[in-house]
Amino acid sequence: MDKIKIGIPRSMYYYYYKDLWINLLKQLGFEIIISPKTNKQIMNLGNQYAYDEMCLSLKNYIGHVAYLQGKCDYILVPRIDNFGSDNQTCTNFLATFDIIHNLFEENLLNYNIDYNHHETELKGFIHLLKPFGISKKEIVTTYLEVKEKIKVQQKNEVRTNLKKLNSLNIKILIVGHPYNVYDDYIGKPIIKILKQLQTEIIYSNLFNPKIAQEESKKISKTLYWKYSKEIIGCIPRIIGKIDGIIFLSTFPCGLDSLVNELAIRKLKLPTLNLVIDDMDSLTGFETRLESFVDVVRERKKQKNEEKN
Amino acid sequence: MKKKISFPQMGNYYIVAKYLFEHILDAEIMTPPKITSKTIEIGSKHSPDFVCTPFKYTLGTMIESLEKGANVLFQAGGGCRYGYYSELQEEILKELGYEFTYINFVSEGENDLKKIYHYLKQIDPHFKIRKGLYYLFIASKMVKYMDKIDDYIRLNIGFEIKKNSFQNLNQKMLKEFSKARGYFHLRRIYHQYKKKFRKIEIQKPKHPLKVGIIGELYTVMEPFSNYYLEIEMARYGIEIKRYTNVHYLLFEKGKKIKKYLKYAREYIHYKMGSDAADNIARTKYLCEQKYDGIIHIKSSFCTPEIGAMPIINKICKEYDMPIIFFSFDSSTSEVGIKTRCEAFYDMIEMRKKHERLLSRN
Amino acid sequence: MKDCYLGIDIGSISTKGVIIDDHQKIIKSLYIWTEGNPKEATKRLITKLKESLEANYVIKGVGTTGSARKLIGLMLDACVVKNEITAHAIGTLSRYPSVRTILEIGGQDSKMILLNRGIITDYSMNTLCAAGTGSFLSSQAKRLGIDIQDFGKLALQSNNPVKIAARCTVFAESDLIHKAQVGYQKKDIIAGLCKSIVLNYLNNVGKGKKIVGPIVFQGGVSKNEGVVKYFEEVLKQKIIVDPDSHLMGALGIAILAKNNKRKQAYHLDLQEVSFDTVGMECNQCPNNCEILKIYKNKKLIDAWGSRCGREFTK
Repeated sequence: MDKIKIGIPRSMYYYYYKDLWINLLKQLGFEIIISPKTNKQIMNLGNQYAYDEMCLSLKNYIGHVAYLQGKCDYILVPRIDNFGSDNQTCTNFLATFDIIHNLFEENLLNYNIDYNHHETELKGFIHLLKPFGISKKEIVTTYLEVKEKIKVQQKNEVRTNLKKLNSLNIKILIVGHPYNVYDDYIGKPIIKILKQLQTEIIYSNLFNPKIAQEESKKISKTLYWKYSKEIIGCIPRIIGKIDGIIFLSTFPCGLDSLVNELAIRKLKLPTLNLVIDDMDSLTGFETRLESFVDVVRERKKQKNEEKN
Repeated sequence: MKKKISFPQMGNYYIVAKYLFEHILDAEIMTPPKITSKTIEIGSKHSPDFVCTPFKYTLGTMIESLEKGANVLFQAGGGCRYGYYSELQEEILKELGYEFTYINFVSEGENDLKKIYHYLKQIDPHFKIRKGLYYLFIASKMVKYMDKIDDYIRLNIGFEIKKNSFQNLNQKMLKEFSKARGYFHLRRIYHQYKKKFRKIEIQKPKHPLKVGIIGELYTVMEPFSNYYLEIEMARYGIEIKRYTNVHYLLFEKGKKIKKYLKYAREYIHYKMGSDAADNIARTKYLCEQKYDGIIHIKSSFCTPEIGAMPIINKICKEYDMPIIFFSFDSSTSEVGIKTRCEAFYDMIEMRKKHERLLSRN
Repeated sequence: MKDCYLGIDIGSISTKGVIIDDHQKIIKSLYIWTEGNPKEATKRLITKLKESLEANYVIKGVGTTGSARKLIGLMLDACVVKNEITAHAIGTLSRYPSVRTILEIGGQDSKMILLNRGIITDYSMNTLCAAGTGSFLSSQAKRLGIDIQDFGKLALQSNNPVKIAARCTVFAESDLIHKAQVGYQKKDIIAGLCKSIVLNYLNNVGKGKKIVGPIVFQGGVSKNEGVVKYFEEVLKQKIIVDPDSHLMGALGIAILAKNNKRKQAYHLDLQEVSFDTVGMECNQCPNNCEILKIYKNKKLIDAWGSRCGREFTK
């Protein structure tokens, strides 16, 4: 019998759960189909199906789902509400399943994370996979095994990211949600320009999430969005070692509109607030990034001279 | 220095807030300045560009209050982005150089009464918990009565014979509410006015046009922010139904949401943030009840309602229900809104006439 | 003597007037600029229309539409005052009774009206600030140093329209400037703008709507051949643009005036009537409403703008 094909849209949730999903589902005997890196076709599909006022990231996600239509037996669309009431997620993370369910006819696979109502990740997977005839025991052991493996891998990633802080180049911290920063259409072009400008790029999401959660309170006391905490939380500890911060968000992101504004007001370091809505033209960004790096470089030079 | 307290505006609810604080705290309670175009102008000037409009309105009111001498600001936002407003607003106001105490009663995660008690003690060392609870009870009843009367007004104001009779009477009632000496007194005033409202002369056809208004809560409840759309529509001779009010949010939502999710099961499985799921279920209900049209209003960039829009649209299409979406921003033109309302009315009236013709043949 | 009916559409930019006969045929029409003064524009319009009207016609009905419909309606004592959306639909229906979809892009707004068997069944308008309206196009034409009249023709010459970000005016404008600076050809940028207006319109106003032919396109932007071409390309259908498309609102309101005609004739001797408006701020309650008082022959006949419903005319 052919393996059951599960489609995973390469957007939003994917950037948090790719390792878990791919390992777990493959080990349990499913075939995984991941939509390709965001390209123009996917962006156009997103525009076609999504509503105009939605944020660029959600449009992007919808484009990826549209791409997977007819290419797999199921599409995996989780719903992630919260990890406790001081660890909530963006509204889109809890609404996307129902939006997709109404926009498309495809079969969806869905699990729900809602710690406030005792819906944990593991419980979600058990509910999700049991109907496929997989025993609870098998799900639990595989899940724990994969989780352990991912932990080691993440530690390594954090280590490499930290090492970059010792670089002698201009060090720029990119603060942004991983589904924006690592997306080939949204963040990658920005990273590419920055690399051409010979800067060392530090990623805000590659830090120990527990420490970041704690540290984020130094910037914002009442922040209750998990993903926002985890990307601004690295700032207090490393601020002395970096030269500038770029806040990268998509238009019109609800969380970033408030959190980034507050952070920028509080930080005494050169910052650049990039709000992205359309990446077909890079010329505008080139100019802004170049001048930003110039400012940062000039400032570093002055500081070094003062020291000597 | 004497404490002077102010808080953001929303509809007529400032009356309740003022009543409550006046009775439990020994401090001067300011009636927050009414929202005008100036309020939103100031608010927008100091707000981030892509934040939802309620942030701008409440910030504007706070600045106007501080200018008038307030030195304590209350904010009570919970849910969605509202819960996070206060920290940034405080930062913005402090940077503008104002000196004040900022107290947020409801913040996500830490919603405990001890903290609120502690805050109130800070403002008034003589604050008594029993008195506080008693007046909180009265305030909750006041909200209930106001919302009940409001529902009645919405159904009938479009058909009043003497212009403004409903609004004038409502103003009178609210004035008396604010002077209520206790719960029983309040209840008596309510029942008196309930009778008076029923005596207002109206001329209502047997089958009037009926329109449901749904959407994001602040924009729905603060008439200035929706350009008085509700009354505008009613004046065409329409019965208006609206579900969201403070009573619903505080006392009904918790119970209702499960029913809502079950009722609209074929469209939604989960809560979608703020009132999005509620509005989806209401859409289905309004369709099943054969309303003549639905108006969906929200502030620009309201994420939960944007997420609900495709689903609401789908339901309306399945039931062939006319719907119009409004997205309000600080720069929305009022003339444009009036034109749209009128056109929407023309459309649903034309449809109704046509349907009647068809059913007769 | 033959009866005829006058319809006037007073927009923020232009004022349009038509006179129709009993068979809904346009016998006279005129298009002038409003120049920020709807009263004067209406006076000019009516004087000219009356001069050219044959002596055997009497005006039996007057209707007004457009953003100044209320004011001018009072001034002319119109028998019908209606919003421009309904007026446009009725005007278009009189020419194309089987029309199913009306696309309209005007100076400030864009809208879509869906009809079935002569009844409006659904309509929608732009919810975002929409970079895709006429005034945005003309300001960008100015920036590129092109006469708005030539805009469409120039767009037709392009085979590679440049993609322009157009969800929000701020993004669109900066994108446009960059594209021009980087060295893209003017005609390709213009074609790109036209195309982005079409895509934007369909993504915003047309989202979730089933667009069925026959399709009529009107409003100021319908005169732009480039936009028409891209509509046809995207919708894969023929788009009808009426040569009188700019007059559809006036035509529609004239038809409504005909259906509400009066027994006595309108004389419309505007030079003899004085008509004034005075704006004031009402300070009687904290609303501080801006009140507009309307005087006809020095007599206060109406006042607008009160939120609380206070009466000013008594």
